[in-house]
Amino acid sequence: MAHAPSNNLREPLILGEKSYHDITVDICRPIETRANKLWYVVFGLSFITMLWGIGLIAYTVGTGLGVWGLNKSVEWAWDITNFVWWIGIGHAGTLISAILLLFRQRWRMSINRAAEAMTIFAVICAAIYPVFHMGRVWVGYWVLPLPNQFGSLWANFNSPLLWDVFAISTYFSVSLVFWYIGLIPDFATVRDRAITPAAKKAYTLLSFGWTGNAKAWARFEEVSLVLAGLSTPLVLSVHTIVSMDFATSVIPGWHTTIFPPYFVAGAIFSGFAMVLTLMLIVRKVLGLEAYITVAHVEAMNKIIILTGSIVGVAYLTELFMSWYSGVEYEQYAFLNRATGPYWWAYWSMMTCNVVTPQLFWFPKIRKSLVATFIISIFVNIGMWFERFVIIVTSLHRDYLPSSWMMFHPSFVDIGIFVGSIGLFFVMFLLFARTFPVIALNELKTILKATGKYKRTSPQPEYKIEDLILESRKGKSGAAIHGEEHH
Amino acid sequence: MHDGVYPAVTAGAAPVVEAAEEPATAPEHKEGDAHATPHGRPQAPVAVAAPVAAAISADPATISTAAANLNKVKGGAFELVIYEKTGLGDGRLANNPWLQELPDPISRVTWDNYITMSIADMNSDDFKFNILNGQEQLSNVAEVVVNGVTLKLPVYASPGQAKGTIGIALGYGRTKAGKTANGIGANAFPAVTINKDNGFFEYSAVDVKVNKTSETYNLAGTQTFHTMMGRAIVKETTLDAYKKDAKAGNEPVLLSLSNGTKDTPNNVNLWEDHPRLNHKWGMSIDLNTCLGCGACVIGCHSENNVAVVGKDEVRRGRDMHWLRIDRYYTSDMTEKKAEEEGVGAIDKFLDMEVPSDSPRVVFQPVMCQHCNHAPCETVCPVLATTHSNEGLNQMTYNRCIGTKYCGNNCPYKVRRFNWFKYADNSAFDFHMNDTLGKMVLNPDVIVRGRGVMEKCSMCVQRIQEGKLNAKKEGRRPIDGEIKTACQQVCPTNAITFGDLNDDTHTVTKHSKEPRMYHLLEEVGIQPSVFYMTKVRNVSASEL
Amino acid sequence: MSEVKYNPSIIYGIFDDDDDLLQSAKVFRANRISVANVYSPFPIHGIDPVIGHKRTNVSVAAFVFGATGFSLAVLMIWYMLISDWPINVGGKPNWTFAANFPAFVPVLFESTVFCAAHGMSITYLLLNRLLPGFNPRNPDPRSTDDKFIMEINMSDNWDAKYDEVVYLLKQTGASEIKER
Repeated sequence: MAHAPSNNLREPLILGEKSYHDITVDICRPIETRANKLWYVVFGLSFITMLWGIGLIAYTVGTGLGVWGLNKSVEWAWDITNFVWWIGIGHAGTLISAILLLFRQRWRMSINRAAEAMTIFAVICAAIYPVFHMGRVWVGYWVLPLPNQFGSLWANFNSPLLWDVFAISTYFSVSLVFWYIGLIPDFATVRDRAITPAAKKAYTLLSFGWTGNAKAWARFEEVSLVLAGLSTPLVLSVHTIVSMDFATSVIPGWHTTIFPPYFVAGAIFSGFAMVLTLMLIVRKVLGLEAYITVAHVEAMNKIIILTGSIVGVAYLTELFMSWYSGVEYEQYAFLNRATGPYWWAYWSMMTCNVVTPQLFWFPKIRKSLVATFIISIFVNIGMWFERFVIIVTSLHRDYLPSSWMMFHPSFVDIGIFVGSIGLFFVMFLLFARTFPVIALNELKTILKATGKYKRTSPQPEYKIEDLILESRKGKSGAAIHGEEHH
Repeated sequence: MHDGVYPAVTAGAAPVVEAAEEPATAPEHKEGDAHATPHGRPQAPVAVAAPVAAAISADPATISTAAANLNKVKGGAFELVIYEKTGLGDGRLANNPWLQELPDPISRVTWDNYITMSIADMNSDDFKFNILNGQEQLSNVAEVVVNGVTLKLPVYASPGQAKGTIGIALGYGRTKAGKTANGIGANAFPAVTINKDNGFFEYSAVDVKVNKTSETYNLAGTQTFHTMMGRAIVKETTLDAYKKDAKAGNEPVLLSLSNGTKDTPNNVNLWEDHPRLNHKWGMSIDLNTCLGCGACVIGCHSENNVAVVGKDEVRRGRDMHWLRIDRYYTSDMTEKKAEEEGVGAIDKFLDMEVPSDSPRVVFQPVMCQHCNHAPCETVCPVLATTHSNEGLNQMTYNRCIGTKYCGNNCPYKVRRFNWFKYADNSAFDFHMNDTLGKMVLNPDVIVRGRGVMEKCSMCVQRIQEGKLNAKKEGRRPIDGEIKTACQQVCPTNAITFGDLNDDTHTVTKHSKEPRMYHLLEEVGIQPSVFYMTKVRNVSASEL
Repeated sequence: MSEVKYNPSIIYGIFDDDDDLLQSAKVFRANRISVANVYSPFPIHGIDPVIGHKRTNVSVAAFVFGATGFSLAVLMIWYMLISDWPINVGGKPNWTFAANFPAFVPVLFESTVFCAAHGMSITYLLLNRLLPGFNPRNPDPRSTDDKFIMEINMSDNWDAKYDEVVYLLKQTGASEIKER
């Protein structure tokens, strides 16, 4: 691919005339320079918000889940809504790194590193909820099938929550490994440019001694390909398993086989929206407009149309099936969603998720960065409401009307959610200033094919036949390197 | 007893305690009559006033005069009926937190008394009171002025209450009863008068004024939806219909299969069921005999150390009742009516939420149904809830990590979560916070800690005791030997527990009756508890 | 005149462009001079057959670990839920693994992916000798930036001369020559 002919038909993915060194300098600049005031302000706000969230979590663990707004009928609300929301956001990163790699989409390279970072941080934020929504967090480790003194009493492999334990831990660890393996060569670049001894030491540690020899790169590419191949079914299966927390239950509005594809599409949808929100900010603030271009934004917007449409079709299918089934509980569940006391949540979900992404059919909107930013935020709001509607409206009015109740969040519910957003931004802001935000070495592989490559020294012109030295003709020579060594 | 304070009532009506006269009639006593006193009537003199001169006769003229008198009640004035709640009675045991937290069978409200008023009156221009209550809406507070006494209480919408009448319960407003009862509700005793004609206590009053106030109050109700929404939750029929066909009102639930036939949910199985080789515990609840009195709820609380959570927590929907008695009113809108009149689905369901002006009322005790295909068991990640080979759904408190998925997945919503530490916690200072209160606890049952789920265990401690006793004698438990707490205290024997594998047990006979049905049978989870349809003694072929 | 023949053991040709280096490597191969190694900031596609590197075994590791993960998971679930302590959970059949199999699919799948991914990644790190704190062995720090280095080990090429190598490097576009 490095010497594929430059394609004049497609828009360039790297703007301006860049040499390899230019790319290095541009992408290492945020690491090598000091942050501006804005970074400190946003970081400070995020940090305080995070501390507030941590404080409320401590309050919850110390006093009891009663400080949340849950009740005897609605025993999951903001906690699991937020869990699914964060995990869904995380799926875009893996999709970009894995599925777009398998589909050979070169435009992924400018965004995959930051998107995977977003995945890692989103999964960390998501993990807060299954841990702290437990009534007895301190014995939460009992979900692990370890030998114990209770028999041994093992774990329940029939339970979707246990599937979640395996799925989320696999997803998190594999995403982390995939991300880190990709980061190693980039850390090496930063290491080799580091001037201060502290930076040199830190990046030497982080880069694991990466040398950049051909064999290492060959293995690197192989590992990336196989991890992409493993991560693709992983990302599909993880959100499928998360959706089964609901799909395998008996509650009307939950008990539906459409959830696995619906949730996966929705996750990719919300994840890409979050990637767009973050990338539009990052490119401006870190000066990376040449690498994250309108072409990238447009490509992501097309994926948003695709997944948003799948989600929209899924909503309509659910409505149709609830009517067509003739089951009174199902029919009521959906009528209640649209016209009952939470109708405002349902219609927020519908407008944000079904209507707004369709605007991207118009090229002017699709190519507008401002419109994209606004729509991406609406999509994430809409996706939060989708999970809220699924969880709370199904629980608050299910089979027996005597159990029907309203749910209202307490300040602790809200505070922990806001705190998780603070945590996310703390991690992301630190990432943006200490890690290379773009896969800088991967990007160099597509410079010639998708951008204007600037040579730093003149191209040598010769023919191979001309350079076969007389003194070497007829020599059997040493073995070609590699035939004896590994 | 009441605090003995009577307002200055009408002069000349002071109760006269005459010297004991010979009682009018001596009651018949039989040998061994437990309720007879040795010497006929009690010794204490009874105030017997002079016989009423104008006896009530069946003379039509008198009746119409009386009716006319009714209509002469001044506009805006109400008739007050003072009543006793089934749990609290006259309030002598108001300091008992179980009784305070026992939901009133009709209103399903705890921890307070209130003014019951008809919905038509509440909607009138004078008032425009909030009809919903609890979580849905705050209740309005009104002042009731009766005989110079003013009571300020929240107003509760009571379907079926006669227009122009209000009701207030006794037993509240105590000030020297103890930490639980003091300050709860308002004392209605001052509104009780002595009838100047016959000296009886007058628990009603006419010409009562109800005044709106701007205050609102959050009544701690445990049920906010009052109709069955067109669902076959409580099945009922009439005596005539039952006599013609014993399965009247009990339509079988059938599932359509892919081969075009239909079958009952129990026969449509994805897999082979676990065998019940020894015991197969089951329970029948006869909706015909259930009065909704609530004794079973208290029995369950006392047997199983169920926590009392207080008014605030009940307001948030976190009562801990393992067993609850749902009360449903009928609604004018039914599926049939909607079809006949072409009412759209949205309007149909909205109308179904509204109880009739003169509704029929049914009670349905609901506890853990011990489903054989329990949805709660499948979803617990740590095996804290499992199924015994005798058909009980087991709850292992010390294994529960509190994910609450089981509670979400229960279609009957019978599981209760310990949101806070209810024992040894001064925020819940009822009977689990001091040594004296704890003497009420049953040592056979553990007290649950914070963060675990609990639910009806079918009094498994009693089952084990019964099995052990029977085993020691080398026999199976006989019918009635093992009684769950709810069964034991039920005054009408509506609840029957026993071994469905034993034909001599009553519950087995019940299970073969045509009136038998399972709640939410169509979900296919095979509950071990079953209900018997309610048969109304009316002359009609259908309700 | 006593010409001291300067014979360094390793010669590095530093190129500014990856295609230049690839073409140069082909020249060296045509001249039967073996290239010991190539250092670059990104993988140069097509370099491996030219300098004679064989396919990696990393993907094989993934398969082996994956199969191991699957087997371990099957064994674990069978032992725990069928053999050691079968519990009646929701009436689900627990007499054979096959009877309850559908419920186990998610965990089996995730275990397979987990073991495949991590097993392969650890193998990868070990094969590449990448562990925290290890020191890098690239000859020039700019090889992770924008320089492409071809390493020619003279002890592999006992019959090649230093001058020949330097001449070829210069002709094929090496901007610098370093020696060790």
